Amino acid sequence: MAEQELEMITDTFYRIVDMCYKKCIPPKYIDGELNKGESVCIDRCVAKYFEVNMKIGEALQKKGQQTGVGGSVTGFGA
Amino acid sequence: MDFQMYNDAEKQQIQRIIEQKQMRDFLKFYTNLVERCFNDCINDFTSKALTSKEETCINRCADKFLKHNERVGQRF
Repeated sequence: MAEQELEMITDTFYRIVDMCYKKCIPPKYIDGELNKGESVCIDRCVAKYFEVNMKIGEALQKKGQQTGVGGSVTGFGA
Repeated sequence: MDFQMYNDAEKQQIQRIIEQKQMRDFLKFYTNLVERCFNDCINDFTSKALTSKEETCINRCADKFLKHNERVGQRF
C-alpha cells in the first residue's frame, strides 16, 4: 500500500514536470537559465495543478456516491 | 471468466488480486483524468488561482470524460 502511494507521488511529480514545461517554457532556448516570467509561470502552474487535482477528486467522489464504489469507474466488472 | 475450477483459498487470493488491480487502475484513471483536463483547460498563468472559466472547464471536462468512459464500457 505504501509502495503504491510512493509510486503515485513520484509519478505525479514527473507528470507535473512534463506538463508545466510544455505550458511555460517556449522551445526557443535563447538562454540556459530560467527567466523571471518562466519561473513565475512554473510556480503558478504547480499551484494550479494541485487545485485541479483537488477538483477532480471532488468530482469523482460525487460520482462515486451516485453510482456506487469499486469497479464502477472501469465500466465493466470482473 | 470461469471460477468453478478454483478452491476457496484460491478464490480468495484471486479476489484480492482483482481488488488490488482495481485500486491501481483507479489511481491510473484518476491521474490520467487530471492530466487530460489540466492540459485542455489550463492555459492562463497570470495568476496562481483558477479562474472561474477554468473551473467550469474542469468540471465539464471531468463530467464528459466520466460519461465517455461509461459509454465505452456499455459498448465494450
